Amino acid sequence: METLTVPQAPQAAITDERVVEVRGLVKAFGANRVLNGFDLDLRRGENLMVLGKSGSGKSVCIKCIVRLLQPDAGSIRVLGQDVLALGQEELDRLRVRIGFLFQSSALYDSMTVQENLEFPLRRHWLARDARSTNDLVEEVLNAVGLPHTRDLYPSELSGGMKRRIGLARTLILKPEIVLYDEPTTGLDPITGKEIVELILQLQRSYNTSSIIISHDLNVAKLAANRIIVLHEGRNHVEGSYDDLRASNDPVVRSFFIFM
Amino acid sequence: MLEEVGDITAFAGRFFANAFHARFEWSELFRQCFLNGYRSLPLVGITAFIMGLVLTVQSRPTLERFGAASMLPAMVAISVVREIAPVITALIGAGKIGSSMGAELGSMKVTEQIDAMEVSGTNPFRYLVVTRVWSTTLMLPVLVVLSDAIAIWATWIGVNIKDDVSWDLFYRQVFDSLEFSDFVPAFIKSYFFGFAIGIVGCYRGYATEKGTEGVGQAAHTAVVTASLLIFILDLIAVQITDILGLN
Repeated sequence: METLTVPQAPQAAITDERVVEVRGLVKAFGANRVLNGFDLDLRRGENLMVLGKSGSGKSVCIKCIVRLLQPDAGSIRVLGQDVLALGQEELDRLRVRIGFLFQSSALYDSMTVQENLEFPLRRHWLARDARSTNDLVEEVLNAVGLPHTRDLYPSELSGGMKRRIGLARTLILKPEIVLYDEPTTGLDPITGKEIVELILQLQRSYNTSSIIISHDLNVAKLAANRIIVLHEGRNHVEGSYDDLRASNDPVVRSFFIFM
Repeated sequence: MLEEVGDITAFAGRFFANAFHARFEWSELFRQCFLNGYRSLPLVGITAFIMGLVLTVQSRPTLERFGAASMLPAMVAISVVREIAPVITALIGAGKIGSSMGAELGSMKVTEQIDAMEVSGTNPFRYLVVTRVWSTTLMLPVLVVLSDAIAIWATWIGVNIKDDVSWDLFYRQVFDSLEFSDFVPAFIKSYFFGFAIGIVGCYRGYATEKGTEGVGQAAHTAVVTASLLIFILDLIAVQITDILGLN
């Protein structure tokens, strides 16, 4: 039987500088209090994973970090800026420094792959002319291994290809932090592993810090330097994959039930 | 109902707060003008032609009964310019443009495309809503003028089914009977109709929830609400022109 080789989570270049600091985050939808005092620190160069079951508020947490959702209480600092106190223009400037990969990839379906990738560049004048725009598009398409998809529409791509193009669109602005919302959900195990490998490879190339939201322990094993288990809206346990694997906590054990 | 009126009013307020922003999305505005204006021309043109022809054919017997058949071009032209062309064109706009805006933005909302735009540092309201509302506001009056012209031409064809009237004579009869006060209120109200179509279509799309079911609902409620609003605005316009003595 062939033994699969798995890439190790990158350990180098993690510094003590905190690029994201979340304190006492509270968010409720009606009577349902999804986050109830959640804390999080992301250090520069680190891959932090937030592990939790479906509906536990993982996605809500990263949507609050980019202020797609307004938290009810708590504080969020990203790259030294108080996210909740920023005006719209300052927030937009900060968002350019944060990449966000959506679970659904969220590609603009009326645009081709090329137009999807050009869209953020044109909005922020990051490419000086058509040639540099083309060069940047080519660079990220090569980085995600899909140079031949320029003229295709999202509806012509498979799930894994959409995720790759979503990743390319996220990285084209060269963000310092990338937030991944369930990057492998809905993909077969082989494509899921390819996506995780791609995330690690791109993280090394683009020198990003990441928060990965998932309930997939394979992602935790392959990519995370540190894992926070989110349970009932709060930090339940924190540690490395091996720490969690050895834990006797019933909530943590429940994630390993099929492993 | 009142809550809905409040929400649409707040949405319109948000439009005005963003409508004159320094960094305007010109290329998207031109694209929307092309889609909402130019692409609506065939439907508006065909409808205007049929409207002018049918109105002429159906009005003739009544006017003949009163010995006023010679008034046919003037009567149809005044009806078309003052009321029928603006309202019918606006209703076509509500059906075609309003529903497509509701469905398009609704679909973008439920598939997180609007969120993706926002986190990439682009203001989706300015990019998607402001450009669309400006495009309908600017394009509908153009479509109404075109609809007027085609309906009047169809009236000439309708008149010539039984009579033999030259274009020159017909043209003189029509424009002798039309006054400035027939054109201006109709032209002004068509801006409001266009604005209503854009605001309602975008509001419905932007407020979409509950996945694909919500997208369908956004499309159909956009048409219903915009159509209703067009009639309400028309009623208000009639009252105002009456008060100003323009009727």
